[in-house]
Order: sequence, then C-alpha cells, then structure tokens
Amino acid sequence: MTEPTTVPQGMSPSTLAKHVIDRHPDVSAKEPEGNRIELIVPAERVRDVVGMISELVPDALPESLFGVDLGNDRYEVMYFFWSHSNLMLCQLRVTLEGASPEVDSVWDIFPGMEWHERETHEMFGIGFKGNPDLRLLLLPDELDGKYPLRKSFKTDRSRLAESGLAETRPTSKESETSG
Amino acid sequence: MSGNILDEAVEVWFGPQHVSAHGWATKLTIVGDFIVECDPNAGYFHRSAEKCLEFRDFRQGALIMERLCMLEAFLAEYPYVKAVEKIAALEVPERAKVMRTIMMEASRIHSLQFWWGQFAAELGLFAMLLWPWVDREYFLDSFEELTGSRHAVSYNTPGGVKYDFTEKSVKMLLRALDRIEYRIPTFRDMILKSPTFKLRTRNVGTFTAEQGLKWGLSGPNIKACGIPMDLRKDDPDPDLAYNMCDWEVPTTQSEEHPGGSDAYDRMVQRFREIETSISIIRQLLPQVPEGPIVDPKARAKTNRLPAGEAYGRVEGTRGITTLWLKTADKAQTPYRAKIRGPCFSSYYSLKHLVPGSTFADFIVIFGSLDPYPGWWDR
Repeated sequence: MTEPTTVPQGMSPSTLAKHVIDRHPDVSAKEPEGNRIELIVPAERVRDVVGMISELVPDALPESLFGVDLGNDRYEVMYFFWSHSNLMLCQLRVTLEGASPEVDSVWDIFPGMEWHERETHEMFGIGFKGNPDLRLLLLPDELDGKYPLRKSFKTDRSRLAESGLAETRPTSKESETSG
Repeated sequence: MSGNILDEAVEVWFGPQHVSAHGWATKLTIVGDFIVECDPNAGYFHRSAEKCLEFRDFRQGALIMERLCMLEAFLAEYPYVKAVEKIAALEVPERAKVMRTIMMEASRIHSLQFWWGQFAAELGLFAMLLWPWVDREYFLDSFEELTGSRHAVSYNTPGGVKYDFTEKSVKMLLRALDRIEYRIPTFRDMILKSPTFKLRTRNVGTFTAEQGLKWGLSGPNIKACGIPMDLRKDDPDPDLAYNMCDWEVPTTQSEEHPGGSDAYDRMVQRFREIETSISIIRQLLPQVPEGPIVDPKARAKTNRLPAGEAYGRVEGTRGITTLWLKTADKAQTPYRAKIRGPCFSSYYSLKHLVPGSTFADFIVIFGSLDPYPGWWDR
C-alpha cells in the first residue's frame, strides 16, 4: 500500500467534489444530499477519478458497480463508494454510447470491483478495458453474448429458442390434441 | 526433478457436490497440501432476480428480495422497501418503525445462530450443529405466529409493515430471547475455549482491514478487524428506530493480528453481534408506540411511481446490503433494480485470501466469512 503524502482529515462530500473538479474540470457534481455526493464523469476520466478517490479517501469501500440500459444504445455505469471514517457515499455516473460500449477497468485500484465488472459485462455487454478476466460469472454458456439485462432482450416465450434454453412445456390444449 | 513447481499441481473442484458446498463450486489448484490458486465460481443459483424485479409491481418486489436470503428475510426485503418509500415519498408510522427494527434484529440473531451451527459442523464439530438450531426454532415459531410463515415472512411493505404485534407473538419472541440469553454463555465457552476449535481457526484466513475494504468486505468481517463500520450507526435510517436505544457497535480487537482478523476473531465477533441484537430488542420492546402500522396512502401511492432514482441500504447480517432502484414516470414496475449482496464480495475475496493456505483450511476460511450463495447468485 502506498500512503498518500497528505491525507486530508474529515473529507466532506463537497470537499471531495471540489478536489476532483479542480484537477479534472470536465467532471461535474450534483448538489450534495446529506452525506451523499454524485459526480458525473466522462468515460475517459473514470480511472483518474477512481484513483483520486482511492488516494483522498483511504478507507473507501467499493460498494457497487452496475449498468443501466437507457435505450437507443445508451448506457449508464454507476460506481458507489462508501467511506466509514468520513460517513460519505460517493456515486459516479458514467454515460456510454454505441452498440458495444467500453470503459476503462478499475479492478487494479479496487480489486472488489473485478466481479462487478465481470457481471456488468455479461449482463449488458459493456466492455471493461484492462480487466483480464471477463468470463461469464452468473450466466450459463447458452446466454453468452445475449446480454439479458439489456432492454432489447425480450423474455417472452416466443424468443426462448433464441436464448438456447429448454423448450416450453406444451400447453394443456396442445397436449390434448396430440394425445 | 522438474524445474517448475506448478508441473506437479493438481486441479480440484471443491463443490458443488461437497456436503459443505451447497450451491457453489470453487476450482482449487493444489501443490502438495497447499493451495496456490483459487478460482471461485458463481451462478449455480442464478435466477435472474434483477430481471424478475422489472416484471413485478412495487409491492411484489419485496417478496423476491426476501427469497435471496431466507435466513435474514426481514433484512433482505428492507432495501427494496426503503427505495420504494423514498421515490413514493411515503411516511412510515412510528409504530411500524419500531416493529421493523425489532423484527430485523430478531432475524439477525436467527441468521447468526444458523451460521455458527453450520460453521462448527463444517469444522467437524457435528454436535454443535443442532444445538443453536434448536434455539433458532423458537425464533421461527415467533415469526410464524406474527406473519404466518417461518421463512418467507413478507413482513415489510412500502409504507410500514403488514402484520401487527399480538400479545402472543411478543410473548413468543420474549421466550426465544430468554432461551438464547440463557444458552449463549455456555455455547460461547464451549466453542471458543475448545482447543480443537482454536487450533482449526487461529491464524487461518488472516487479512487486514485495508485489504478487506479494498476487496469490498463489510459487516462482521470488517468489524472483527476492529473497525466499527456499521450502517445502523453510520448512516442512520429515519425509518428505523436504532436511535431509540442505547448501544455500541460491537467490534473485536484481535490480540494476535492487530488491525486484522482471523477465523477465530470473526467467530468472537459474531457472538458479540448476537448480544448487541438481543440488547436492542430488549430495549425497544417496551417502547413500541400505539398507532397505525402502515401509511394509509401507501397502497394508492405505490400503484404507479413517479420517475426517480433511490438507493436503499441496510446493515445486513453479513454486511452492507443495498438496492438501487430506477423508475420511469407512472410506471407500475421498476425500470432497473440492482441488488448488492454482501456475500458477492466475501465470495470474491476467497480468490485473494485462500492461496497459500492448506487444503484443509479452505473450508474454515470460506465458512468464517459467513457466505450465503443467494446473495452472490441472485
């Protein structure tokens, strides 16, 4: 562990936002709500901002990372960090576009994010550049590349064949006629 | 003599058919008796809970949440309920706040009782398996009296709770508390002073608080390192009643590993958790105020929610449990719901924690983190 040279004492949500925006003016912050701060981060700045959080908030806990499908090939990736010593919840919001969106991985800064990235990759098809292990985590092999949490993935029975999963049971009416 | 030690390595699948591996499997690479690589596998229980939530209305969603971890059902459904309450701007009545807190703590005791019985059995102390589970039955009986169900309790609902305390249900809860209070000191002495138990758990699965935080560990696993990280105190929820009683966050200062913890410390920590929860329930039970148990507008307001985002969090038995909810305007179902189960991180951390230990210690390390497959597979 490398100790940061100056550890700011009692980092408040607004001070953290100020530190980040001073160094990276293209990041913007929403008004803090109590102990919670939300930063809107351009995709190419993610590693810089997460690195700063790791440096300024030494006890940051990588709480969550997940994707949201906004439709029309637009995606959001959210990062949540919780700090016990500062009682602060920090949320990063990254917007991505395109059929195969990609963002830099932060798993080497926060190893706890490794599996969250793996899950977001298999569920949304969002790539994480630099993550060496993006194998399927929760899904069966048949659903590789189908990205079930995208809104375009329909779960009605008419598309079961496409998913590669087991056939539906015949309805009672069909079984009557066939039997 | 071969030059590379890995030439002699053997790959072993631990689970899913192993007795202790109920629904998970981990690939271990072993040289001699030592594990050199650990690759935890998830997905054996995956039932796409997040996708399911997108197809259930805002009162049904909590029922899916509690099925992720039946042992702490009262706690598991809370983040969802909390997120819905935030978006719908519901006001939880005072009576419901206290009742919720009491039942959540009862659920925590029940879950911890289950865990340490099982952990002892995993170490080979099979006599210890059923003793805490007998005490646990008393809690299950009181849950049944209150909600009609032993496990799928479905108690919290947006705006309050579903079932009111009756004289009999409170009496049964008190009986469960009396029983466990009487038995815990004996059990604690039996297991923590047992030389066998000490030999199996001391200096096994040691990590420091810094490492644990980077891996995403929370709850008793971090509190066992001496850090009082607990959302009940850190992020006080106005819809719960933890501020109505006097309690301290239980922590364990490891004598052998200052600033860190081993499997033994985590066991000590979980006994402290049980005692804290008993004390909270004892203090809250006489303070239950009179009044309604659910916001009268809850039903009308949760049929369709306005557009919004909310983050519901609770300190679960195993750590920080959260649900992030996004709704579209006038929607009857969530647009996106993301569940953060605490065990997702604890299971992942095996990858870093296990290499270097012996094969026999693997199950001790795994069990000491109190993992529950429902939380990582969802």
